[in-house]
Amino acid sequence: MVELKNVDVHYKEGGVDALNDVNLRINDGEFVFIVGSSGAGKSTLLKLLTRELSPTNGRVFVNGYNLSKLGARKIPKFRRSIGMIFQDFRLIPNLTVYENVAFVLRVTDRSRRFIRQRVPYVLNLVKLYDKARSYPSQLSGGEQQRVAIARAFASDPGLIIADEPTGNIDPELSYEIVELLKDINQCGTTVLMVTHEHDLVKYFGGRIISLKKGCVDFDDYIGGNNEG
Amino acid sequence: MKGSNFSYLVKQGVVSVWYNRVMSFASFCILMVSLLLIGLAVLFSLDISVIIGNIEDRNEMLVFVDGDIDDSELSYISDVLNSQDYVSRVVFYSKEQAWEDEKLSEKYGSGATALFESVDENPMPTTYRVTLNDITKVHEAAERFRRIEGVDWVAAPYDFAEFLISVRNTFTIIGIAILSALVVVCLVIIYNTARASVFARRMQISIMKHVGATNSFIKFPFFIEGMFIGFLAGTASWYLTKVAYESVFSVFERDIMILQFLGFSNVMGFEAIKWYVLAANCLAGALLGAIGTILSMGKHLKV
Ligand SMILES: Nc1ncnc2c1ncn2[C@@H]1O[C@H](COP(=O)(O)OP(=O)(O)OP(=O)(O)O)[C@@H](O)[C@H]1O
Ligand SMILES: [Mg+2]
Repeated sequence: MVELKNVDVHYKEGGVDALNDVNLRINDGEFVFIVGSSGAGKSTLLKLLTRELSPTNGRVFVNGYNLSKLGARKIPKFRRSIGMIFQDFRLIPNLTVYENVAFVLRVTDRSRRFIRQRVPYVLNLVKLYDKARSYPSQLSGGEQQRVAIARAFASDPGLIIADEPTGNIDPELSYEIVELLKDINQCGTTVLMVTHEHDLVKYFGGRIISLKKGCVDFDDYIGGNNEG
Repeated sequence: MKGSNFSYLVKQGVVSVWYNRVMSFASFCILMVSLLLIGLAVLFSLDISVIIGNIEDRNEMLVFVDGDIDDSELSYISDVLNSQDYVSRVVFYSKEQAWEDEKLSEKYGSGATALFESVDENPMPTTYRVTLNDITKVHEAAERFRRIEGVDWVAAPYDFAEFLISVRNTFTIIGIAILSALVVVCLVIIYNTARASVFARRMQISIMKHVGATNSFIKFPFFIEGMFIGFLAGTASWYLTKVAYESVFSVFERDIMILQFLGFSNVMGFEAIKWYVLAANCLAGALLGAIGTILSMGKHLKV
């Protein structure tokens, strides 16, 4: 569960009010699109949820953690309960697809046995098991993002946060990325996805949160074109 | 940390030395040169202190004994002199011996024999020649000896002692200054080189932060990497130190007279200390490399 209560974020450098009195509640298992024009505060909102940023005012709760009271030493444990996907994939270029996924499990001290089972499983899920030995540079943008999704899902997080995951991908391939996130959502993981692509949002529908100048402008469910 | 992940991170650290080989090579060279300079500075300052020590060992105090003194009093004086911590050697020089030596002395010329024959009474004093192992104690020693029953007076090389003490202090200060300057410069350069190498892998670090790796997990491979490069640089600089030290040595060795005059005879040869130097170089290299690398990670860990 994600909850924001009267959250303000003020950036001292530049004196920008990035978020103003935001109240939100996202329940476990939801799939939510976050939209809004550039500079509306979408990335700022996501950074609050990953505890990269603390709110100037208000309180933030994620996966049962009260982030306002989370000490620096507990941040790593908290972060293991969320998965992140970035616009620029952020795969490590000198590691193979398999190693990229295994890497995040190793550095969070998972057992060798868990890694040996989990990595093939998530690579199968994103239909890239046959590319396990390839390097990121040998994959298309869409494939690279699918590896990143597998990596985010590898630790079996309760929440996946994706900041414009389709931003660097051919529009036709964007649909399969969202389909994948929907599949993961079906397994019970909450998914928050920031996007600029209105076509995607219209096509898939569901809960939409729209930010405008740091405020929640719209928060409701819309029907998608793919249904029926 | 689980064993399999520990060995994975160690491997990552070593592999990244090769993967970032340009940066690694830069760090390696810098560390190697720094360790060479530091090593030579340490070795030569040790040599200088050996040389000064040798010169100091040639100090000699003269303890003049009263003229009318018997054997038991003499042996008492000798016991007191020998029992002091700072005394390394006591040589008894009897008045008879002194008189004989005086007669043979060249300063009177060959025709002096008759002159000496005419003197009935031996005018020479009995003395003890005392060598100190710690020249800074010269005043204390003179004071102590003067108070011994049966001692007439004491002659001590005060100026010589003060000169040597000030030479030693000067060299110590210069040595420490050079050494700390070298260490600081070396750390600063390594810090900056490592920063470039950390910067090149900021994405890897940021991924680790985002997935919830603890800081010790994140630092560990960098620590290993810095240590490994430092270790290699330590070994290489050891060889260079050997070459440099021995070639400086051979220059001095050509003139044995100067060497002996300066008290070089006891100066360390490289062979005798090579394993200590190797161990010290590798240890210092590993430490400097690891510390420089870890320091340079600073802001990347704050995500
Ligand atoms: N680190 C920062 N320091 C100062 N100001 C910032 C910082 N990050 C963002 N801002 C400002 O805060 C506001 C919101 O930024 P944010 O990145 O959240 O927007 P966004 O909705 O993600 O935009 P985009 O769609 O372009 O990614 C902007 O005006 C931006 O300039
Ligand atoms: Mg953004």
